[in-house]
Amino acid sequence: MRDRSTIVLAALGLIALACMCAFMTLGLRGNLWFSLELRSLRLLALVVVAVSIAVSTVVFQTVTANRILTPSIMGLDALYIFSQSLLVFTIGGFGFASLDPRIKFAGEAVVMVALAALLFLPLLKARVDLILMLLAGVTVGVLFRSLSSLLARLIDPNDFVVLQGASYANFSKIHGELLVAAGVLMLIGIAIVWRMRHTLDVLALGRDAATGLGLEWPRVVAATIMLVAALVAVSTALVGPVAFFGLLVVALGERLIDTRRHALLLPAAALVAIIVLVGGQTILQHVLGGASTLGVVIEFVGGLVFLAMLLHGARR
Amino acid sequence: MTTVERTAPRLAGAAALLVLAGLCAISIFVGVGDVSPREAFSDPEALYLIAASRLPRTLAAILTGAGLAIAGLVMQTLARNRFVEPATAGTGQSAALGILIVTLLLPSASIATKTLVASLTALAGTSLFLAIAHRLPPTQPFLVPLFGLVYGGVVGAAVTFVAWHTDLLQFIEIWTHGEFSGVLRGRYELLWVSAAVLAVTWVFADRLTLMSLGRDVSVGLGLDYARMMQIGLAIISVVTALTVVIVGLVPFVGLVVPNMVSRLIGDNMRMLIPWVAGSGAALVLACDIIGRLLHFPYEIPVGTVLGVVGAASFLWLLLRRPSHA
Amino acid sequence: MLFSRIFAVLIALALPTAAIAETVQIQTAQGLATVPARPHRVAVFDMAALDTLHLLGVKPAGVPDRVFLPELKPAAAGGEVVGTLFEPNLEALSALDPDLIILGGRSSPKAKFTSRIAPTIDMTIDGQDLVRDAEARLDAYGRLFGREQAADEARQKFRAAVAAARDAAKGKGRALILMTNGPKISAFGVGSRFGWIHSTLGIEPAVTAMAAAIHGEAVSFEFVRKADPDWLIVVDRAVAIGTGDSQAHATLDNELVRDTKAWKRGQVIYLPAADLYIAGGGIQAMTRVLAAVTRGFSAAQ
Repeated sequence: MRDRSTIVLAALGLIALACMCAFMTLGLRGNLWFSLELRSLRLLALVVVAVSIAVSTVVFQTVTANRILTPSIMGLDALYIFSQSLLVFTIGGFGFASLDPRIKFAGEAVVMVALAALLFLPLLKARVDLILMLLAGVTVGVLFRSLSSLLARLIDPNDFVVLQGASYANFSKIHGELLVAAGVLMLIGIAIVWRMRHTLDVLALGRDAATGLGLEWPRVVAATIMLVAALVAVSTALVGPVAFFGLLVVALGERLIDTRRHALLLPAAALVAIIVLVGGQTILQHVLGGASTLGVVIEFVGGLVFLAMLLHGARR
Repeated sequence: MTTVERTAPRLAGAAALLVLAGLCAISIFVGVGDVSPREAFSDPEALYLIAASRLPRTLAAILTGAGLAIAGLVMQTLARNRFVEPATAGTGQSAALGILIVTLLLPSASIATKTLVASLTALAGTSLFLAIAHRLPPTQPFLVPLFGLVYGGVVGAAVTFVAWHTDLLQFIEIWTHGEFSGVLRGRYELLWVSAAVLAVTWVFADRLTLMSLGRDVSVGLGLDYARMMQIGLAIISVVTALTVVIVGLVPFVGLVVPNMVSRLIGDNMRMLIPWVAGSGAALVLACDIIGRLLHFPYEIPVGTVLGVVGAASFLWLLLRRPSHA
Repeated sequence: MLFSRIFAVLIALALPTAAIAETVQIQTAQGLATVPARPHRVAVFDMAALDTLHLLGVKPAGVPDRVFLPELKPAAAGGEVVGTLFEPNLEALSALDPDLIILGGRSSPKAKFTSRIAPTIDMTIDGQDLVRDAEARLDAYGRLFGREQAADEARQKFRAAVAAARDAAKGKGRALILMTNGPKISAFGVGSRFGWIHSTLGIEPAVTAMAAAIHGEAVSFEFVRKADPDWLIVVDRAVAIGTGDSQAHATLDNELVRDTKAWKRGQVIYLPAADLYIAGGGIQAMTRVLAAVTRGFSAAQ
């Protein structure tokens, strides 16, 4: 069991490395240093996004004790976009739009974490059953997407909301100035998650069992929800809403590694996410020549793979 | 059954009808043109506006709301699952795919042709979904909505991908934001097909109730299960395609209304159908009125308002009455 | 005097030619910019720029993958594809090694990145004062490429076209600018991307209290009827983005719009949508738009 998962992790790591090398070297032209620098920026962004989504999805599924809830399905991406428009529209008059993007990002992340805590803690504490939780999540997503576009309609719609409100992530975007801030936030986030990995294993046993084992359930859950919100802010700020990407990579990772133990699942999911994003972007860029549709392609292919897995698992 | 129990629903029904009638009245008198209740029936100008614009818009909202709510109810019955609806489980996306295909092959097709093709693709998409949904183990009820969600996403992604590569992305956007601002006399009449579909649903209500018991039980009780499946599929596809072509995608109605209503009055189809249709109509109409007023004299799409209003009230309802499942 | 001339010749001989490439100061959307004069290899990502450069006889070395307007096909012919209207492909650009990169509108946010490859100018044209901006860009391109004479001629013709449109519309009544998007419509006011039609051409708006929404406001047909404009100026979005035939007429042809003065008198002007929406501010595209305005208003009964 332990051996198998080590082998799987090693293999995933190698494939991820291969994808990164391919991403960095295929079809290089023009000024070599410039291109390499550009690609490393993009690669870094892709890795930050991949890891953020994978980790936030795993943690979120553990907290909600549910394999099919992901932060995106539960509307957290929409919540971040809403936080963005809310800040632009409430303090837009005071030069918020011209602020340094890093400060903006920090502000948006704070608003987002606060909103997420306000919204999801009562949901989790109320011991809402699973189906209701799913329903509530989809509802929250719709609510915030609609609120964002309502705000955009009521107050002069500026292009950023229109762009941000796009229904698919754009993995070709480069945010040079945000990358460092987002990367740092991601590193802090995954460091905390990694230190909590055993706590998370206990949390996965369910609320009552975890409380019985001496876990301060409400406190831990509050902390993890905020963590998840911060990680979602990272990925959404960099590329936009991602829909089923998290669901896909965590399901794949879990299938490959055959365990929910966080010490193994977290790296597995993160590696799968890196492979899918970096590999997919490489293939699209050099084979199909339409890199800006990766979000759509992931949705399509990832969705199909996931459906096949569902059916296969159901028939077993 | 005591008399109290029998009169309570009647009272509730009367109250609900009053609410719907009230909303219709408001809808008739809300708009950019000047129509005041005092001169509505004496001023020819006002009468003309009502006939040409207000009444059609009101009826379109009612037909859309009732149709979508019923489509959601039927879909939930066929999938034997509470949490699927045409807008999220691939029906709406398949209809959009149909519109896209028509636009690529026959750019100058009429609305009726578009609706027909969209109905066919919606039928194909929904059939596929239900065929697969039935192979999922019934022991895991949340698998079906999950499957539907991802499936809808996949079809939607295919639409986006094709539209992106044929530069029709913004064109498809027209059909993804439902709104009634373009509804006038002569531009919505096809929606009356929804009313016919409602009648069909009413005829088959008891059989639908049987269907919800599952295949084996219903066949044991003498139901032609396969035939009912086809009828149900036709109901869902036609209503969804009609709505998408004429109004645009209106999310949420099919999911929220049947769930809320059945929580309040139980699962008997005969009882459910009028209530679900009425509540759907009231919800969409109310949201359209809000959309007309919020940014007056400009319009806010009903889909957006519905997203906010429907979602917020539904959340409140969910969390106010924690269920003990 | 003589000394300095000899000195200059000596310097010119001593240095590689690139180092003394002249620079020129031109007006851009971001203020004054100093760029190398007469650049040979230019990458252009803005349709209006492509249009005006074509008029001046400048051939771009790098162009986006699609130009949307059939009229722009010859302008982009022979240029290497280096990205899309929104997204310059930085590596392809770097391989092209241009002397100058021209961005505008949809691609202007990318200036940070392209300026690392070559000098970049943002030539975005603002819809509210489109005519002034279009002329400013024309001047800038003329000086930049040493085609001042061609630019002067073009400016005179352009001014004549603007004046003709102004004269044709003078005293002809109030107009409402509508954009049709499939079966739905939006109205555009003075502060919108088409605001110059009111402000520069002096056409009175039928609705004065229109909020300054750049992208217009969604309205109902009742709104059009109540505004009761003398003229309807129509842009069909579907045509602008190249999605098939114009349905603007079919969308507007309903009993509420038929009640307006504009429809009754046949005073409905359909503008060439792509020229305005995609290449708005390009001199040739604008000339076509202005000609449509002139034709429309001259036909008034």
